[in-house]
Amino acid sequence: MPSKELPERSEIVIIGGGIVGVTLAHELAKRGEEVTVIEKRFIGSGSTFRCGTGIRQQFNDEANVQVMKRSVELWKRYSEEYGFSFEQTGYLFLLYDDDEVEEFKRNIAIQNRFGVPTRLITPEEAREIVPLLDISEVIAASWNPTDGKADPFYATAAFALNAERFGAKLVEYTEVKDFIIENGEIKGLKTSRGVINTGIVVNATNAWAKLINAMAGIKTHIPIEPYKHQAVITQPIRKGAIKPMVISFKYGHAYLTQTAHGGIVGGVGYELGPTYDLNPTYEFMREVSYYFTKIVPALRELLILRTWAGYYAKTPDSNPAIGRIKELGDYYIAAGFSGHGFMMAPAVAEMVADLITKDRTDLPVDWYDPYRFERGELRGEALQMG
Amino acid sequence: MRPLDLTEKDPSRRITIYFEGQPLEAYEGEKLTVALLANGVYWLTTSTEGRKRGAFTFGPVPVVVDGVKNVNGRKTKVKDGMRIERQNYGEFQETVEIDEGKPVKRLVVDVAVIGGGPAGIGAVLEVQEHLTAAIIEEKGWLGGDLWLKGLPQEGFGDPKKAVKELTGKFNGNVRVFKGTIALGVFDKGEYFLVPIVTGKNQLIELMAKRVVLAVGAVDNILLFENNEFPGVFRRDFALEVMNVWGVAPGRKVAVVGSRPEDIVPELERWGIEYVIVPNPKRVEGREKVERLIDMNGHVYDVDAVIVSDGRRPDINPITQAGGKLKFKRGYYMPILDSQHRIRDGIYVAGSAVSIKPHYANYLEGRLVGAYILREFGFDAEPCVYEEKLRDYEPVPMAVHQIPFESFNLEDVQICGCDVSLKKVDDVVRSGITDLQIIKRLTHLAMGFCQGRFCLFNGAVVVSQRTGSDMSRIDLPVARPPLKNVRMKVTAEGVEEYAE
Repeated sequence: MPSKELPERSEIVIIGGGIVGVTLAHELAKRGEEVTVIEKRFIGSGSTFRCGTGIRQQFNDEANVQVMKRSVELWKRYSEEYGFSFEQTGYLFLLYDDDEVEEFKRNIAIQNRFGVPTRLITPEEAREIVPLLDISEVIAASWNPTDGKADPFYATAAFALNAERFGAKLVEYTEVKDFIIENGEIKGLKTSRGVINTGIVVNATNAWAKLINAMAGIKTHIPIEPYKHQAVITQPIRKGAIKPMVISFKYGHAYLTQTAHGGIVGGVGYELGPTYDLNPTYEFMREVSYYFTKIVPALRELLILRTWAGYYAKTPDSNPAIGRIKELGDYYIAAGFSGHGFMMAPAVAEMVADLITKDRTDLPVDWYDPYRFERGELRGEALQMG
Repeated sequence: MRPLDLTEKDPSRRITIYFEGQPLEAYEGEKLTVALLANGVYWLTTSTEGRKRGAFTFGPVPVVVDGVKNVNGRKTKVKDGMRIERQNYGEFQETVEIDEGKPVKRLVVDVAVIGGGPAGIGAVLEVQEHLTAAIIEEKGWLGGDLWLKGLPQEGFGDPKKAVKELTGKFNGNVRVFKGTIALGVFDKGEYFLVPIVTGKNQLIELMAKRVVLAVGAVDNILLFENNEFPGVFRRDFALEVMNVWGVAPGRKVAVVGSRPEDIVPELERWGIEYVIVPNPKRVEGREKVERLIDMNGHVYDVDAVIVSDGRRPDINPITQAGGKLKFKRGYYMPILDSQHRIRDGIYVAGSAVSIKPHYANYLEGRLVGAYILREFGFDAEPCVYEEKLRDYEPVPMAVHQIPFESFNLEDVQICGCDVSLKKVDDVVRSGITDLQIIKRLTHLAMGFCQGRFCLFNGAVVVSQRTGSDMSRIDLPVARPPLKNVRMKVTAEGVEEYAE
């Protein structure tokens, strides 16, 4: 995508051209709004570029389950409409003791209540889904066939192209440097390529959100910190070897699946930070090898081709901050996705577009209230992978 | 003698192996790929997209050995009765035996030298009197590219004699690891961690106060149609089969690329018939190269093609260790401080710095060794080596114009993992010129070699199509592991700290 000239003025400016910023631009443009995305590198270049493909509805609270139910509907619709791949190959949580099973039974009940068809299945059934699994210690599994995976980069590119088709402007290699604020109202943004006049700004910079908040002079306490999470990919093997996303909390909070290209991709819970450093570590390579080969022994003989790192933009309860920041006129935030922002993006786009255009939304956006931290009302921690 | 044997082999080591059920003569200690070549077998494996592949240019060589799939053909030695079969990429062993784990070993040294060529040897010889050192070499021999040569080399005379003489001087302070890969260099503050894996899958964690990257250069991949077909040899592989194993690449070979002088004298030494073809367009054949066709439509009936197009520093270990690059003399090279460091504690020497004669690389190894000695407070005279090095002006390498319009771009392989020139060119022509995005969209540089052999040509495509200078193209950095490692190796012994 060639980078565009910075427009002089735009009704709405989204800072950040990752999956969240781009799906929001797409949604707003589709509704006829004038919107510009400002991205300091290229579209999809941040955590979206480094993300692990998973899309799931198996959460442990009503809000996230509803939002993800909606998100999967949108993933389905747009992948068909725009021709990018979204495969509903399911999410399989391997469970190893009674406490885990009890917890997942409660989660499954919530999920079923909102129409997410998760089931508790036997180890043998799990092995039918993924024949390479070692089920010797598994006592049950939580299985939802409607969860899935998509390539974050292709998906972001597809939303970007169609956002442009609806009239959105996506400006790459342009960095926001400062806010222009008069009498408590946003008048514009200073960027590395000049000034853009605007009244409405959305902070969709996730790992960098605190920097943009500081630039805007926001006093509200919205704790979002960048943590280093890492991923691995093996040599490609025959297609269809591991179809769903396989999760094992027992073995290092591991998640693994197969990419469209054939490599086995995934990560573990090993977390470093807060930091903006992205150098992959030796310790990760060791841990991920140990845990993965416990879950799928055949991986022992596969070659590791590469490891890399990306950010989880974490909040204290692993839920994002989504909403309007009242202290600065029309300033919105959609950031802090804590490792599961990719999958949420289409629904988050809908929620934030609703807030901007209608000041209300049918989706349970209050759960992600940016003011909850200051009020000391942390949510039950959202189920975080890796 | 087998069809392609150049030398008589030791009859007491004679064994029988089976390829696709056919019994073949081989010799104990031979590499699988070489034993098959000697018998005239070139096609060993088939890529995901159904392209036939041999063992002597880019791309992996997975084969079935005694019923076990996905064995690396290049790293396997033949045994009597061994049964070898072809496989397709992507086939793997679905049930694995959990063998006895090998406890991870740790070794503390003053200096870890990655690369056992002339530069690495020079560095070790310089420091060994006062410091402990480990020298890590992926190949089964020390001497690097010098060991592959059969002809006398400036400053050294007979290559093998020189290498033996120099390495014969290693003292008790030196640990030599042959057939061993380094996974990367990790800064631990107090020391550098250099995890290495021996040929027997033993993981050893080296803890070193200083690191020398004497990682050498890699041969250029020349772009032409079917440039990865069985029977196409990279210069280094051609030298290896002739001079290390006594086996010819073919009876009649074509030499292509901008530096035929790097291989022709060696072919003449063995009396191998050759033809130099300056403008190759395409190779063809059923299971292996049978003919080469040039841009003017001339057809050469040959049974192998040797690509001798010069070498460029292997930049992967440099960028993984935190080094930055510049473009000069036709290649990317590390940016060094006045003491040959990419950063505090990490030195670079040899053809990893610039392309020059073996002896100059050796001197450069001595030079960084001298800098290290001084850092540790010992007397050393780096200026002596600096002075001598001035006699060697690094060699420039030609950057080719890719004749896009003359090629069927789908048949030209830019990367060993089924990435055609067409795939990359289409993306670049659609306006995407950032190699990070090109990687993502085409899988260029995302395979087994981590871009070692393809990233440069990717940059050439971008430069040529956009007119932007090579020096302004941002190369993606390498990530660990620097060389592919089986997951079971890094899985060993983590229990103690993973929980």
